[in-house]
Amino acid sequence: MNSDRILSDLAAVVGQTFPDRDFPPVDLESRAFADLGLASIDLVVLAERLELHYGKKLPFGMFLKGLRERGADDVSLGDLVAFLQHNV
Amino acid sequence: MPEVEVNGTRLYYQQAGAGPDVLLVHAVTSNQAVWMFAGLVDALAQDYRVTTYDLRGHGASERPQSGYTSAAMAKDFAELHSALGLGPAALVGHSFGGVVAMHAALDYPQTVRGIILSDSFFPGLKHIEPNFGKMNIWADLRATFQKVGVDLGDTVDFTRLFRATAELSPENFKTLEDIYGAFGRGWLRQLPKLAETNCGDEVLEVAGLTAERISGMTQPVIALYDEFSPFLATCEWLKKHVARCSVEIIPNAKHLALVENTPAFTDAVRRHLKALTL
Repeated sequence: MNSDRILSDLAAVVGQTFPDRDFPPVDLESRAFADLGLASIDLVVLAERLELHYGKKLPFGMFLKGLRERGADDVSLGDLVAFLQHNV
Repeated sequence: MPEVEVNGTRLYYQQAGAGPDVLLVHAVTSNQAVWMFAGLVDALAQDYRVTTYDLRGHGASERPQSGYTSAAMAKDFAELHSALGLGPAALVGHSFGGVVAMHAALDYPQTVRGIILSDSFFPGLKHIEPNFGKMNIWADLRATFQKVGVDLGDTVDFTRLFRATAELSPENFKTLEDIYGAFGRGWLRQLPKLAETNCGDEVLEVAGLTAERISGMTQPVIALYDEFSPFLATCEWLKKHVARCSVEIIPNAKHLALVENTPAFTDAVRRHLKALTL
């Protein structure tokens, strides 16, 4: 699945998961915390919704742990799209 | 969202994996994301059915005014355990999560086969713990809040922390968000919400979990305490007074081993869970 399609899916799932929030337009550089205003528990909820969307369990924990170990201070949608491309 | 109504409160939970039941219980002001971000859920889900949930008032769970003692939260756990149809479970509890785990093991012994504590302080053991109130992480917190002109005092006071955060100006709140960074922002945002509850005072109540009750614990207790923990006196007490308690020190950590030394913490939990679930 190409990255444009996954980014489009991701934006749709984010909007459906948090329908009461306003999100700016997103691209691969957008950051989950800083730009979308998500908090850590929101990522747990979003992960569950993405698993439902794609119909399979996804190793989000290992993905997030890897980001932390790399010293990342946020989760870019580009990282998230690459993760989904690899796992769905 | 997977939710369950227990003890009059709606709790948000997640499950992964298959095998013997393991429940991960987070600390006060935290939420279940901490386990996912540390990679512990994925690591354990290879061998266990792992259930994580947000304590009442935390994360995506409902936030009632009261019910924040370890006794009330142990009842939450027991009802969640029943509602989800779990078997006798191994509980891993970080800090206050360990207090809830201990209380659950004593009040609802059929639900708990053993517990793993991570750097827990027990209000019922306050008399043997010289460092409560002077915790290093409280000192760190106090120093950070002083940067926005807020004095939290030199003794641990959750209610004061929650109220002070609720009263911050938007500018000062943003300053603290920038200091704590993306991964800490969710933690900070939870504090003013807890100011609307009795959580700050109730979590520090003994609530029946006295030294005498703790020493009567019959299930296995694994006490993982951090090398630079403020609660090493508690660790020693547990080793001496709880019949089936074994102790392991997690190096290079001061209260948040699962974050500060994730590999060592994960390795210890996996080893001890294997023994607990044989």
